[in-house]
Amino acid sequence: MIATAGSQRRWRRIFLVVGAIVAAYALLAPLSSLDAAQSAGIPLLTDKFWFRIATYVVMFVVLATAWNIIGGITGYAAFGNVAFFGIGAYTTGMLIAKAKWPFLVALPLAPVLAALFAALVGLPLLRLRGHYFAVASLGVGVAVGELVQNIDYNGQPVFGGASGLFLPIYAVGHRGLFFFYLMCGAAAVAIAVTWWVLRSRFGYGLIAIRENEDAAAVIGVNTTAYKVAAFALAAALTGLAGGIFSQWNVFINQDNTFPIEYNVQMILMALLGGTGTVFGPAAGALLLQLLIQFLGGSLPISLDIPFVSSEARPIIAQVILGLLLIVVVVFVPRGAIDFFGGRTRLSLAYLRRSLRETSL
Amino acid sequence: MAAFVQLVILGLLAGGVYVAVGVGFGLVWGVLNIVNLAHGALVIVGGYITWQLFTAFGLDPFLTLPVDAVALFVLGYALQRGVINRIIRAPLLFTFLLTFGVNLVIVNILLLIFGSDFRSVTPTYSGQGFELGGIVIPYVRLASLGAAILLSAGLAFLLSRTRIGLSIHAIAADRDAAQLVGIDLRHAYAVTYGLGAACAGVAGGLIAMIQAITPTAGEPYTLQAFVVVILGGLGRVSATVVGGLAFGLVEAFGQSIPGSGSVFANAIAFGLMVLVLVTRPQGLMGRLR
Repeated sequence: MIATAGSQRRWRRIFLVVGAIVAAYALLAPLSSLDAAQSAGIPLLTDKFWFRIATYVVMFVVLATAWNIIGGITGYAAFGNVAFFGIGAYTTGMLIAKAKWPFLVALPLAPVLAALFAALVGLPLLRLRGHYFAVASLGVGVAVGELVQNIDYNGQPVFGGASGLFLPIYAVGHRGLFFFYLMCGAAAVAIAVTWWVLRSRFGYGLIAIRENEDAAAVIGVNTTAYKVAAFALAAALTGLAGGIFSQWNVFINQDNTFPIEYNVQMILMALLGGTGTVFGPAAGALLLQLLIQFLGGSLPISLDIPFVSSEARPIIAQVILGLLLIVVVVFVPRGAIDFFGGRTRLSLAYLRRSLRETSL
Repeated sequence: MAAFVQLVILGLLAGGVYVAVGVGFGLVWGVLNIVNLAHGALVIVGGYITWQLFTAFGLDPFLTLPVDAVALFVLGYALQRGVINRIIRAPLLFTFLLTFGVNLVIVNILLLIFGSDFRSVTPTYSGQGFELGGIVIPYVRLASLGAAILLSAGLAFLLSRTRIGLSIHAIAADRDAAQLVGIDLRHAYAVTYGLGAACAGVAGGLIAMIQAITPTAGEPYTLQAFVVVILGGLGRVSATVVGGLAFGLVEAFGQSIPGSGSVFANAIAFGLMVLVLVTRPQGLMGRLR
């Protein structure tokens, strides 16, 4: 069901205006916690708790947007991007904790190292296609996490081992505010990079690879170089988020820097919002991460699920997340941006058609 | 020398479990073109069925294996027929995400029912073994290797000698042509996935006798099944058997490297897999397709 041109434009405008207002509020509200604003009598619009969740949500905007470059635009189903997040986190973490570098000097090395690693493993891995690439990249994600936790030198764990790595607290006023805006900066960079890629010769090459790799090679796209570059670019952005995370969270270990769920979450976010688009993954990240936080019970607005004890709650949340994953994959294969952006209307016919297209 | 032989024997015996885990995964992948990330969860469901029957009724764990197979076949058939069939024509990422979602649901439902405590199945003969020329062979391991080989042989027989097996072969060769000659695709797909799940269930029963299980213990088995299938080569049951035994050997020798311990199991497995994929993509036993 295709909407008329007029209503399409109107929906698009409404969507953009609402999005802009929400974004402006989310970006500016934290400023009310500054001393100057407090002494001027402006009411506190957010609290520390909100900073934490907001920073977390924005971190996933970076991760999903970065995944989109290799997974959405290039069409390679990378399933191990969390490796780059962990490498970024441990690069910054090690430089700060062991080499005593200042944070802002150590941070730029996180994306650089993640990108180098991606280029190195990308050369053999990106020769694989389809399932083979997906699971091989998943394997890299798992293996790197395991290596980081278990590598010993002279009986001493090199990267802090199973007990993890503690970083000194970064001395800056309004830490929550600082890291929130830093993460927002990373998200802006990720979105800007995606925007640039989609308008560049490089991006057209990547899209050609996604649509038909052999044909792309025939028309003169250096497929190996393009794929590795896209992989490294995604890794750099993911590593940047990891680097910020390590200093923000102050403590890193295998569990919080190499979680396998992140792989799936970033893909699901990109899918939900619409792969291959500039803002789709970001929108999906906002939607899904807020939902996850809500289900996990960490949002101030919370709903009591009947018949569920508090310790069963996170488990129920996971079940709901799994069911959601199934529903999204089966019914909304082209992402929610399709109708939020006004291209099609969300209707029963749309759901039925997308079901018919993929069914056996 | 004796240590070397002991390692080889232990590796082959450990390989039995990997064979059992690998055959079902390889069948689903080879025929349906689905990398089933829920495979490990199905394995653990089998493990819990065995554990439940053993603790509640004192049934010998090896006798529970057919129950595992039947129960998991039904679960797998329903899953494929009801859910996975609906996205068969979607890009591969979708089957990936879908099976991961199924995995998440199964694992967390198990957590709700059984909690996260370690459960183990310990019949009277567990921990016992016999000695053969200075080499110790545990009974349970030997029997589980035998059960895994039997399972593979049964699957191979089913695939090559029965009507449904031949239709599964036909689907693997050409889905649309199979439909043209009158094969009910939805049913045949569901049977294939059901068979894969049944193999997973038997594997789970074997695993419950060898290690203590938790609802999340299945995850590594999904990854290892993938490595096993790659190692042997996609498309034949016998190749997966070779892959599973080879994987057991590699693991046994990897763990015997001083200082590494068992902590690098995944790293070794995946390093090996990437090596095989890059140098010999058709697997040890495979033919180029």
